[in-house]
Amino acid sequence: MRFFKKITGSNLFYNFLRDPMAIGSATVLLFLIVASFGAPLFAPHNPYDQTTIDIMDAELPPIWTGAADADSRFLLGTDPQGRGMLSTMLYGMRVSVLIGVGAVVLQSLIGIIIGLIAGYKGGRLEALLMRLADVQLSFSTYMVAIFISAVFQGIFGMGVYSDYALGLLILVIGFAEWPQYARTVRASVMAEKNKEYVEAARVIGLPQWRIMFRHILPNTMTPVLVISTVQVANAIMSEAALSFIGLGMPPSQPSLGSLIKSGFDYIASGSWWISLFPGIALVVLILSINLLGDWLRDYLNPKLYKD
Amino acid sequence: MFAFIIRRITQAIFVMLVISVIGFAIKQSVGDPVREITGISVSVAERDALRDKLGLNDPFPVQWFRFVKGALHGDLGNSFKYKRPAVQVILSKAPATLELVLTTSILVVLLSIPIGIYAAIHSKSWWARLAMGGSIIGVSIPVFLTAILLIYVFAVWLQWLPSFGRGELVEIFPGWKSGFFTWSGLAHLFLPTISLTSIMLPLFIRLIRAEMTETLQTEYVKYARARGLKENRILYVHAFKNTLLPVITVGGVQLGTLIAFTILTETVFQWGGMGSMFIKAVEDADTSLMVAYLVFVGLIFVVVNTVVDVIYGYVNPMIRTGGGK
Amino acid sequence: MKKKFISLCLAGALVLTGSFVSAKTLRLAMDADPVSLDPLVQLSGGMLQYSHIVFDPLVRWSSTMEFEPRLATSWERIDPLTLRMHLRKGVKFHSGNDFTAKDVAWTIDRLKKSQDFKGLFESFTAAEIIDDYTVDIKTSVPYGLTMNMCTYIFPMDSKFYTGKDEKGQPKDAIIKTDYSFANVNESGTGPFQVIEREQGQRWLLKAFPGYWDKNHGNIDEIVLTPISENATRVAALLAGDVDFIMPVPPQDFDRIDSDKKIDLITMPGTRIITLQLNGKRCPPLANPKVRLAIDYAINNPGIVQKIMKNRATVAGQNSPKGYAGYNPALTPRYDVNKAKELMKEAGYEKGFTATMIAPNNRYVNDEKISQAIVAMLSKIGIKINLKTMPKAQYWDEFDNQVADIQLIGWHSDTEDSANFFEYLYLCPDKETGKGQYNSGNYCNPKVDELTLASNSETDLTKRAKMLQEVEQILYDDAAFTPLHWQMLSWAASTKLSNAKDIVNVMNFPYFGDLNME
Repeated sequence: MRFFKKITGSNLFYNFLRDPMAIGSATVLLFLIVASFGAPLFAPHNPYDQTTIDIMDAELPPIWTGAADADSRFLLGTDPQGRGMLSTMLYGMRVSVLIGVGAVVLQSLIGIIIGLIAGYKGGRLEALLMRLADVQLSFSTYMVAIFISAVFQGIFGMGVYSDYALGLLILVIGFAEWPQYARTVRASVMAEKNKEYVEAARVIGLPQWRIMFRHILPNTMTPVLVISTVQVANAIMSEAALSFIGLGMPPSQPSLGSLIKSGFDYIASGSWWISLFPGIALVVLILSINLLGDWLRDYLNPKLYKD
Repeated sequence: MFAFIIRRITQAIFVMLVISVIGFAIKQSVGDPVREITGISVSVAERDALRDKLGLNDPFPVQWFRFVKGALHGDLGNSFKYKRPAVQVILSKAPATLELVLTTSILVVLLSIPIGIYAAIHSKSWWARLAMGGSIIGVSIPVFLTAILLIYVFAVWLQWLPSFGRGELVEIFPGWKSGFFTWSGLAHLFLPTISLTSIMLPLFIRLIRAEMTETLQTEYVKYARARGLKENRILYVHAFKNTLLPVITVGGVQLGTLIAFTILTETVFQWGGMGSMFIKAVEDADTSLMVAYLVFVGLIFVVVNTVVDVIYGYVNPMIRTGGGK
Repeated sequence: MKKKFISLCLAGALVLTGSFVSAKTLRLAMDADPVSLDPLVQLSGGMLQYSHIVFDPLVRWSSTMEFEPRLATSWERIDPLTLRMHLRKGVKFHSGNDFTAKDVAWTIDRLKKSQDFKGLFESFTAAEIIDDYTVDIKTSVPYGLTMNMCTYIFPMDSKFYTGKDEKGQPKDAIIKTDYSFANVNESGTGPFQVIEREQGQRWLLKAFPGYWDKNHGNIDEIVLTPISENATRVAALLAGDVDFIMPVPPQDFDRIDSDKKIDLITMPGTRIITLQLNGKRCPPLANPKVRLAIDYAINNPGIVQKIMKNRATVAGQNSPKGYAGYNPALTPRYDVNKAKELMKEAGYEKGFTATMIAPNNRYVNDEKISQAIVAMLSKIGIKINLKTMPKAQYWDEFDNQVADIQLIGWHSDTEDSANFFEYLYLCPDKETGKGQYNSGNYCNPKVDELTLASNSETDLTKRAKMLQEVEQILYDDAAFTPLHWQMLSWAASTKLSNAKDIVNVMNFPYFGDLNME
């Protein structure tokens, strides 16, 4: 209860309540997260349960289209495997949220730490870390995925891949794109580190890590947050692209991205619902994350005067 | 400055070596090139003999040293599929990709700066909100979906623009066939550029808006206002100059993303560049071409990032000394 | 067709130019282009398609699977080891040289040197030149398929390919990974000559003015573009940017069929898609009842209807109709209740777990098919861990037998049933190379015996009986799980008046015969 009071009494909460855009996007995001993480409770079917899937139900249209083959069991129609779109999307959204957020947290964590150290310390350490970033940058997510999953399969064999695919993907996508953060943070740190407030902190003898994380970092966050919101979308789409080369989620546990990708084959053939619904879900998800991110960024930014 | 450049070049050489090692490590996981260049009914012994001949059975370090030795002479090996030196293949495909990247970059710069600044100044206006909202939808739609939708609308349905390829090309100097100088070439450039731009533009609009919003609240902008400078001069000269630093940094890094996305765009539009060549090389296990591409792209990154650092050093002289300690 | 380009905003101008297509240009889009100009460098569908455009075979298959004379006008069996071929007179190569028996003998020699073809031509010995226009084709043992093999003999210009090039290399060298004279130069007798070639990008071929067959089609030039992305290839056809595409993805069949300006052409194909069950890796799969249960559990009519959009033929055996080994009694099995019963009888009522691999860019809809199979097998309690991968990685994994169930499609190079058995079901033997693709490790001596005997049997009725018996044994043992025969598909602009007559079940369109309005 005291915790709750602390939250409702905070500046953050006060500010939040005054911004209808923030409330709106938080509500939508909360709804999507509850719906997807509670999918086993809400979804009409369990698309991971292979025994309930029948190929004869494949590509049925949504029920309101009034088509002769529409089936009352499948509100939003079915995908090419005969899974209900609604249930598959709810489960798929969970995967996508985990991958999108997980990978971005990982890559920003690695990138920020490396960027901070490189920018603040300078010298050989900086040269080493930044050249490491150059190496990493030359290898797209694609190549990292090929490498890591080949190593993984070599060690653990093929049978267990599907059990660990999610964690592995967060690792691959998280690992592949940290240089974006590292280079950005480093550039900002170098611009900040000779400013008066840093000098002042040094003069009064604060420890280095404290100067780095408490004083400089908050002043470098603007570009980091901008990149992050875009990166969430990118991570979700990277996963879809990886599933195409057999390195994404196993086909029996499709993500939102791979659903869109599989619907891509059917755009011309008239089965529009296969990619449209997951597409809308993805756009809404990312839109709400971005709007909330924008608000949070403006709120946290020490360089902006709040009114 | 000179010492700085020398140091960067030594580092670059080291980076290239590391890239080649990793490229070689990945090569083993992509597949077996011999499988791809022989018919399915060829016997196991026959295939093994070929593998021996190509040196694919040699231990990893032996293969790598051979590669580095060749690379010093400008020879990155032979493409198995194209049956000629990989360097030649890549150089023949590079102009197509560079033209695509160039037009996209120009478009991104031309559009993101005014839109970003506008959105920062009039952050509450409907146009600004529309631009920001639209930019999110832009990033949320996967590039292959954007690409195929563009094809269906403009090529199949309206029949205004061609659906694939580069159109008529003009050889502007030996080895560089350009699509910039014919109407057909420009028309073919249109849809791929738009789909590629749809990925990069939102990021830069958002970045410029965020940085600009920040700068507008700094003391010296207020000071400039107090001095009675013209508002436009404050916005476009004083404030904007300050937002440039992060934009240049992110821009240098995002070049990597841009090149990664050319892979998808080129594949969908059958654009004869390095991107589609690379994905075919991975699909067909043309491993020598794949490694050559990785080294080549690595070189581009190293050069671009070095240039970015040098520019950065000019814009902000503190960095040079800071980095040189 | 005149095409309008509108360049918007940036150019700010409306332009009405375009590529005016000259007289009879066929704009052809395939999923990949041939890798070389040397027909013997690789044995693959793509290279054979190329061979039919730039070269001519001695004989070729007609649409009714009979031999049609091309460079050979007639033939006769002299003895069990010899087939006499009478050659066409007045045929010229693209270089201007005359075609004679010497070229045939030279080509057979070169076939036997080619890594990819030497296996098929193993029993062939050097051909004997009788006179300029008569040649005896010899085999070392009686061989029932000599005529079939003649469809692979595309005589090459022996004069053109003899000697050394500027680099001092022999012109007839067959080199897979580097420059060779034959990789970049051609001289065949075929209807088209290669004028320009930008590999992976664009080919320009022009009709050969000295072509011997005066009844051929009227195409003046072919512009070949490889478009690997399915959706783009279809869009290019719908937009009128190309005239002929191959292959057509099944999900777009209806869309293309409904377009009045485009003809969809499909034909039952001969490539069988199967699952191999490896009892050595996964003991339950060694149980014949379990194997049968899997066969019954898989709804292959459903796969054909829903995933293949009815453009495939449900299979119960390897040999498609028309092959010597086709056994009409062997019908596809599908009955889930029966499958459950069999699992119970086998003692696996509770089911078991198995791994499966499949390629995802090799066969039509391969990934979707394997995904559907996972759901189908779950209904009889078999939990499958499926992994799909691109073909470049697949075959190594397949050879190493990394999974319990592996998917493979097979097309018989000889258009004959024995080829299926030799590669897929003979007891695997690393020494002889028999059963090279038998990753299920199925082994039945009776199958080996009958298959090997059929190869030297020249009485075709007797031979067919033997092959049908093999099919029966495989069916009874549930040696493999048959899914379907893929259909072949092409789509052509209606301008191409006889497009449906130039295609065939081997998927070698005879573009030389094509007519354009």
